[in-house]
Amino acid sequence: MRALAVAATFGVLVALVVVYFIFFLESGPAAIAATRGSDGSADLTLQTVPSYGHHPFPDWVSYMAKDPQGKWEHTTIFKVPAHTLIKVTIYQYDGDSGLRNAFLSGVSGTTGDIETINGTVEHGINANDAAHTFTIPDIDVNVPLPGINPNAKNPCGTAPCSLAEAHNTITFSFRSPGPGSYRWQCFVPCAAGFLFGNGGPMQTIGYMSGLIEVS
Amino acid sequence: MESASISVSERRISTPSAWSQVLGFNVIWAVALSIGGYALGHWLGSKIGINSAPQTETDQDDVAILMGLGFAVLGWMIGLGFFNYPLARIAGRPATLREREEHGAWRYFRLCTDHKVVAIQYLVAVLFFFFVAGLNAMFIRSELTSANATLIPAGNYLTLVGLHGTMMLMMMSAGVLGPLGNYLVPLMIGSRRMAFPRIESLTMWLTVLAGFVLLSATLLGGFPTGWTGYAPLADQAAAGIDSYIVSFALIGISLALVGVNMIATVMTLRAPGMHWNRLPIFVWGMVTTSILAVLAAPVLLAALIMVVFDRTVETSFFITSSGGSPFLWDELFWFFGHPEVYILALPGFGIVLEILPVFARKPLWGYRLAVAGMFGVALMSFMVWQHHLFMSGINSDLRPFYMFTTELISIPTGIIFLNGMGTLWKARIRFTVPMLFALAFFFNFLIGGLSGVFLSDVTSDVVTHGSYFVMAHFHYTIMGGLVFALMGGIYFWLPKITGFNLNETLGKVHFWAMFIFFNLTFFPLFAAGMLGMPRRVDSYNAELHTLNVFVSVSAFCLGLSMLVFLINLVWSVMFRRERAEANPWQSKSLEWQLPSPVPVYNFERIPTITSHPYGYGTPEAPAVADFGPHVIAGEGGLA
Ligand code: HEM
Ligand SMILES: [Cu+2]
Ligand SMILES: [Cu+2]
Repeated sequence: MRALAVAATFGVLVALVVVYFIFFLESGPAAIAATRGSDGSADLTLQTVPSYGHHPFPDWVSYMAKDPQGKWEHTTIFKVPAHTLIKVTIYQYDGDSGLRNAFLSGVSGTTGDIETINGTVEHGINANDAAHTFTIPDIDVNVPLPGINPNAKNPCGTAPCSLAEAHNTITFSFRSPGPGSYRWQCFVPCAAGFLFGNGGPMQTIGYMSGLIEVS
Repeated sequence: MESASISVSERRISTPSAWSQVLGFNVIWAVALSIGGYALGHWLGSKIGINSAPQTETDQDDVAILMGLGFAVLGWMIGLGFFNYPLARIAGRPATLREREEHGAWRYFRLCTDHKVVAIQYLVAVLFFFFVAGLNAMFIRSELTSANATLIPAGNYLTLVGLHGTMMLMMMSAGVLGPLGNYLVPLMIGSRRMAFPRIESLTMWLTVLAGFVLLSATLLGGFPTGWTGYAPLADQAAAGIDSYIVSFALIGISLALVGVNMIATVMTLRAPGMHWNRLPIFVWGMVTTSILAVLAAPVLLAALIMVVFDRTVETSFFITSSGGSPFLWDELFWFFGHPEVYILALPGFGIVLEILPVFARKPLWGYRLAVAGMFGVALMSFMVWQHHLFMSGINSDLRPFYMFTTELISIPTGIIFLNGMGTLWKARIRFTVPMLFALAFFFNFLIGGLSGVFLSDVTSDVVTHGSYFVMAHFHYTIMGGLVFALMGGIYFWLPKITGFNLNETLGKVHFWAMFIFFNLTFFPLFAAGMLGMPRRVDSYNAELHTLNVFVSVSAFCLGLSMLVFLINLVWSVMFRRERAEANPWQSKSLEWQLPSPVPVYNFERIPTITSHPYGYGTPEAPAVADFGPHVIAGEGGLA
């Protein structure tokens, strides 16, 4: 009887450990799907915010994404169809912190190797003006995002930011590759307060890096 | 040395009342006080670090978290009563010995100074965390059934690998020293206790705490460094690395103390007549391991403290732009790390060389050579650490030297093999479960050792470094070596420790499943490594998919084989309860001459040792010990 009780307690403990680990491992941002454009393309609408403003890391810089219902979600995992034109719009609300490697200030891998910044076509920006980049190394996509004017009167406070606040609008498009999971990330060391600007949000999926899941 | 004339009845062996046990110092208080301690420390830390740039900009207050963890350690020790005795001494009370020696189940949940109780606590703790880390391995292999990241969100994979590796290494460092060392060394040398019984208990409770602190990394954002904690990644990483630092530091402290205790015990508490050349080879394994632990673990502790300073008070030990160097971490870590891998090998040597003569019914071949081999390994393990840095930009003139020393270390290791083979030569072997594990040790360790030569060779390391080849190599030495030896040791000594027999058939099922699936799991990974599959990455080249699915399936079977062991253990010890004979293997070693389970006081009288314990096969071999007028068990074993 006592042995049975001990064995049962033991079994419950083991089950708890298993459940806890599954719970921990599966935690992480949810993926959102790109919206279907009218011309067969897929659309992604993103924003970068200087500080997320909510639990658990209110001061961390972050990307956000708009779901098909038009709601801003805190995720960096995007589902897109394969071999399709992906049209991306990014509202950039953060100030610049500058690129350490100036090579990444040039646009590459997008349609025509260009981006538009507030409607103007550009092949790149001044490396010191970069606030973030949107880079998918595997398929050589690299788009630098310029910071907002440091004297702007109405910088964004907490996420999600609204179009009434100071921002730059960047658009570009690229062709999605074959099915697979592709890492993307920002290459500007933008994690304020961390060693070399590279800790925290720069290392965490859901903030300055994520995945493009192509199917 | 304890006098043999103290009679058993004079010793205080008490069974306190149930209430005083629940309310007294025990693990319940320890848990409560460590949680309270964390809260207090965190609060204090957040006041100290107030308005510092890291605190205001990063949302990650390492000062608070580390102070919290530090106070949690204090709370844990207070709750278990580790400060009672020192405080009593400061208050002028007289010195006492073993004040917590008692009967009853509660002694397993508190500071106990009976070395046998501590050993069993250790065994349960190590097996529990071994299970947790093994579960993590199953999750890793599940993720690797697909060439892309699928099952586990990408950010969590690295943490998973780090938890698995760090937990395994932390627990296995203590895996033999803790349970088998603490249990057997006093019995084997004819002592009633370890030299420092309270410290012995402290090491065990620190190990438990370390396991839970490491798991707390899952609540603090995980850690990205694997078990090696490389800088500057560790300086930048999320707060989960604080858990890694504190838990590994606790293990460092615990290991160093275990080592001191073990060495002091063997030096001072040997029974009369237990000359150095009569010491069982297992004890020599424990002594050499302890020497490594004492010399290497403090270096780890120092290096971890440097990371703490970098993360909290803005020193720059590992930060290049401020005059430090991440390379410094590599040096300090591996100066600990390489001896550490022999902390994971020498106990295995000790166990298998102890088991072989019993089942070969022959004396251990080349006893002195084996001792020399163990010391050779221990000594040389401090001269090879840079082989981990061949590809990290070390001065290239240093490479041949470290390549040479590394390859040289295979000589003392080879001696251990010769001892084993010499003992088996022309023997009529009894293939019991412990013996099967001991034999498998040699097979696995040989593959582990031979693959090590490719890694120590600078030119071939260029290809294999950082790949699954390394991964397969160290699983062959640690799992194929140490864990197989430990399993053999458990099957061998558990009848003595618990007083119950383990089921032989289930034992054999366990052995064959573990042996076959271990090899099926890890051998193909040498190939995966040669084909370029990198460590610590959750996706790989699609061409390697079939290979990885095969490996994962056999890894699951390997996991199941461990369940067979668990079932055998629980069923045999808790349900079937078939009484073990005092000396079921007809061993001549001292511990087997005692009844099973061993009485609290071990020896009614301290015996006088008259021979080494390996006189097998010669009927006229002398008895190993003179137990005085009251021989306790002794049936058959002494002949
Ligand atoms: C069922 C048995 C086991 C399986 C299937 C297994 C599987 C694995 C795998 C797949 C990795 C590499 C993950 C990666 O690099 O992406 C790994 C890493 C590791 N394993 Fe195991 N393992 C097992 C048992 C053990 C044991 C018994 C030990 C030691 C006592 C151990 C120690 C380690 C260490 C130290 C690492 C390196 C972690 C790092 O890179 O920091 N493993 N294991
Ligand atoms: Cu960024
Ligand atoms: Cu090494």
